Amino acid sequence: MKSAALSRLESLLQEKRLDQTVTRSWLPEPGVSALSSGIAQVDRMLGGGWRRGEVSELVGTRSSGRTSVLLSTLARATSQGDVVGLVDAFDRFDPTTAAAAGVDLDRVLWVRGPSLTVESARPDRLTDAVHHAIRALDLIIRAGGFAVAALDVADVPSRYLRALPWTTWLRLAHANEGRDTVCLLVGEAPMGKSPRGTSVRLTSTHQWTGASAQSRRFGGMEIRACTSTVVGQTFRSADEAGPEGPAYVPSKALAPRTSHHAPRTHDLLSCL
Amino acid sequence: MICCLASDASSPGDPAALEAIARACSPRVAPHGDTAVLFDARGLSRLFGSPEELARDVHRLAAERGVAVRVALASTSTAAWILAHARPGSTVVPPGRDASVLAPVPMGWLATLPEIALTPEAPLRRKRSRAGHYRMAPGPDASQTSNFKLRTSKLTIATIERWGIRTLGDLARLPRADVHARLGPIGVRLHQAACGEDAAPLVPADEAVPWVERLECEWPIEGLEPLSFVLARLCETLSVRLEQADRGATEVMTRLRLVTRDVHTRTLHLPAPMRDARGLRTLMLLDLESHPPPAGIDVVEVELGVAPGRIVHGSLLSRPVPEPDQIATLTARLGALMGETRIGAPVLVDSHDERQCAMKRFQIRDDQAKSPKPENFLASGFSPLACLRRFRLPIAARVTVDRHTPVRVVPSARGVTGGAVVACAGPWRTSGYWWALDKSGWDRDEWDVELADGGVYRLARDRSSGGWVIEGTVD
Repeated sequence: MKSAALSRLESLLQEKRLDQTVTRSWLPEPGVSALSSGIAQVDRMLGGGWRRGEVSELVGTRSSGRTSVLLSTLARATSQGDVVGLVDAFDRFDPTTAAAAGVDLDRVLWVRGPSLTVESARPDRLTDAVHHAIRALDLIIRAGGFAVAALDVADVPSRYLRALPWTTWLRLAHANEGRDTVCLLVGEAPMGKSPRGTSVRLTSTHQWTGASAQSRRFGGMEIRACTSTVVGQTFRSADEAGPEGPAYVPSKALAPRTSHHAPRTHDLLSCL
Repeated sequence: MICCLASDASSPGDPAALEAIARACSPRVAPHGDTAVLFDARGLSRLFGSPEELARDVHRLAAERGVAVRVALASTSTAAWILAHARPGSTVVPPGRDASVLAPVPMGWLATLPEIALTPEAPLRRKRSRAGHYRMAPGPDASQTSNFKLRTSKLTIATIERWGIRTLGDLARLPRADVHARLGPIGVRLHQAACGEDAAPLVPADEAVPWVERLECEWPIEGLEPLSFVLARLCETLSVRLEQADRGATEVMTRLRLVTRDVHTRTLHLPAPMRDARGLRTLMLLDLESHPPPAGIDVVEVELGVAPGRIVHGSLLSRPVPEPDQIATLTARLGALMGETRIGAPVLVDSHDERQCAMKRFQIRDDQAKSPKPENFLASGFSPLACLRRFRLPIAARVTVDRHTPVRVVPSARGVTGGAVVACAGPWRTSGYWWALDKSGWDRDEWDVELADGGVYRLARDRSSGGWVIEGTVD
């Protein structure tokens, strides 16, 4: 139940057209359009899915499941007939696993940044790559008609993102305001979601199957997600949001690989 | 009454002159190839008088243009066509006497009929000259079909001649049902032609309009900013013309005559017919930004290849997707920013080498936009999967192996922490292209390993060199 003072403040902000600048509630309001992430637990935690017209974030450390959740969202959007844009700052996107995850590749506008090894690249090249990627995301958002505009800066060292002017993310949020596009930022740490957007922090534990060395397989990831709507606020975990617990993301794309072995000359000889 | 003009054998064919003569007489003109044109001569008596006078006027117009033509006026296109090709000078057939006038014509003239005589290339020229703007892409099937029909028709005519039938009158006297029983549909068409009957009505073509705008500058233009104003003016004029004609541009050719007397030409192929002046100008400018002219510009000329306007019905049930012209503008902008080769839709490569990937031009087909997959995504069999982030430039690593299993990874790059291997699975052995001489072959063992830093990586060991690399992370 909102207090009278809060309601009055909201109405005042609305009169001044400043209501978009503050967060009123972390849960989406009824009737607000949302795009499912394709993972039931994450959707439930987000209150239905990613909010359209907002900038949201997927953050976590390496192998925490960010790419899996992102591709699941893209798969969900493309399966509905929508088109999506993916700005891949350092060219990390793998079409094979994306297709296995259900992404309709014909509906993906893939913007590839330079294929850099982050640690050995010159700083100015990294800075240029980040700037170009953000500019490309801005162009996709402003073009309109894309269900998802995603920026993958997961491998960008955080110092390069911190060096960006703070207005960068504000401009992105402003560009996306009122559109039907879900803007998703994928990184290691929170960057700049819009006031009503959501930061989803992911952690995961990895599942290995098989008792012996010969039978061992990478079975998948158990992803735990927690959300926040205000940068710096304590993240709310999925466990608090409901009893379903973490989402399990199997590695179907990776595990069933068979040892494909094209015949080679010396192998044939050894067979003989 | 249909009139056919055919180039006389004594003069070379001039399709433009033939069409101009026909259009000077009638608005309903159907050009056929380089050597003949048909036009509808009905209702021209108040302008030209009797058909004989019309034929004389046509000859006079041809003489003024220096073209020798044969003219035939008949009730049907087929009769006019055959008589124009078979008889020199002018032939005027009184109404209802087509079959009798055609009767003494030798059988061989049937081979000149357009549906029989056109070579596989000819239909293309015909289509283009009809509308002046169609970009037809018949594909291999169409040309094969034309080839087959041509060969079959000529064989059929030869067969009829072997039966002892020498003239069209002889063929016309045969019962059509029997001809069909022996020769099939092609025989029926030949019989119809011998009787002077048409298989299809005359289809007039619009006059080809040059979609060109040109501006000569008083002073040479240096730089793209002043050029944008000139292009905007030209595009606005063209846009108005396209709007009036209900056409859209599918191809934009920009010709810039430079102060050095060179011509800088750029051609843009658009994914869908466009007529928005602003969009066209933006696309041209973005293209010229990537390929700027090397000197000042004296003359700017914009030529469009056009097609009929697109008719699109929006759906109330599906979410709108970007229009093709929006996509074209967006990809042009992104191409200018990131590089043209870095924009597109990903494509799976038919290879066992999972590292390979390709891109194609990103475009949304109309049927794609209208056929979304089932709404119930989770129930449709999709499930989230652990995905790989691939390092296109793999990171070299030193890997300690114990009992054929990696136990420690020390990468060369600083970003990957490395350390002891917590869990691993493998090796997955792949090899291919071992027969190729260009070093495109591969032969490697792959491992999925979890390191102490919590990351799951994919390692690969090249079996020929023994070197290890980190190929990506599972994320």
